[in-house]
Amino acid sequence: MKDKSRYTTISIPVQLNEKMKKKIEGTGFNSVSSFVIYVLRQLVSGSPENAKGFTKEDEKKVRDRLKRLGYL
Amino acid sequence: MLVIGLDGATWDIINPNIARLPNLGKLISQFDHYTISLKQKPWSASVWCSLFSGKTPEEHQHLDFVKDGKIQTRDDVKVEFIWDILDKSGLNVKALNIPFIVPPYNFNLEFDPPGHGVPITQEELNAEIDLVTKKVLNILSQEKPDLLIAVYTALDKMSHLHWGEPALIDYYEKIDQAIGPIIDSDDQVLILSDHGFTDYDSAPIQTLPKITATGNELKGDHHPDAIAIAKNIPFKITQPIDLFNGLYNYFNQGKK
Repeated sequence: MKDKSRYTTISIPVQLNEKMKKKIEGTGFNSVSSFVIYVLRQLVSGSPENAKGFTKEDEKKVRDRLKRLGYL
Repeated sequence: MLVIGLDGATWDIINPNIARLPNLGKLISQFDHYTISLKQKPWSASVWCSLFSGKTPEEHQHLDFVKDGKIQTRDDVKVEFIWDILDKSGLNVKALNIPFIVPPYNFNLEFDPPGHGVPITQEELNAEIDLVTKKVLNILSQEKPDLLIAVYTALDKMSHLHWGEPALIDYYEKIDQAIGPIIDSDDQVLILSDHGFTDYDSAPIQTLPKITATGNELKGDHHPDAIAIAKNIPFKITQPIDLFNGLYNYFNQGKK
């Protein structure tokens, strides 16, 4: 079921690693690797702002709909 | 394993209408089913976040779809979810239409939800059933993920707008028909809701104003009793964080 070969090693500057260690303190991220995977995934495709077709106009439509339901 | 979310599903609709819901009825007659009585506020954004992060609202601090006027995104939710963790360990995990944010979140797949992720019109509400079902069946026709999570979110909107009307029972019936082939496709299926529903004036907590800013009247509101139907699921959920913990332990990820 597990497939460790799906992962690889990427080198980053030590200073950046130290900064990220501090950045994840007190968050739900339990390692720098977890945080890096999360950030990269968001950058590539994860966040709605970056998702195909999700524009400012779409955000306005979402906001209007939330308003209709009483969330705003 | 399949985890199917029915946002806002309640025994108060399912039980008296079970004859019209043969697929849910079949599962209920054969497998474990129970009520999850929430101790946390029955608020979808927060509860879905707890279900899949294993953190209480106090811990994850994601309390609503909107904070200080800003629509919250995945970036604003500072937790790792079960799909993040299991994927990292090498498992094949997919998550479809998870409504801890709007538009709902997807992991390892692409999905374009109707109504920009907040379906309101009847056409959009019906479309969500069709699109989520087609997406799930399409995935299952091509592969068998270790864990596939999918949520039918529009039942919540339908319940807000049509509580007490025959149209809501019809909607449950549509969902029941849709999930039939899905629940037959895996030996392990968990169906659950994030909260229940009741008529607006009887709700222990009013989560939304009865008359919205645009003049729409909401007829239903959230109830803290959610549902769970567990087909060969080796853990029980008494509170939302138990789902994360159960999945985590089941997939043998070692210490948390």
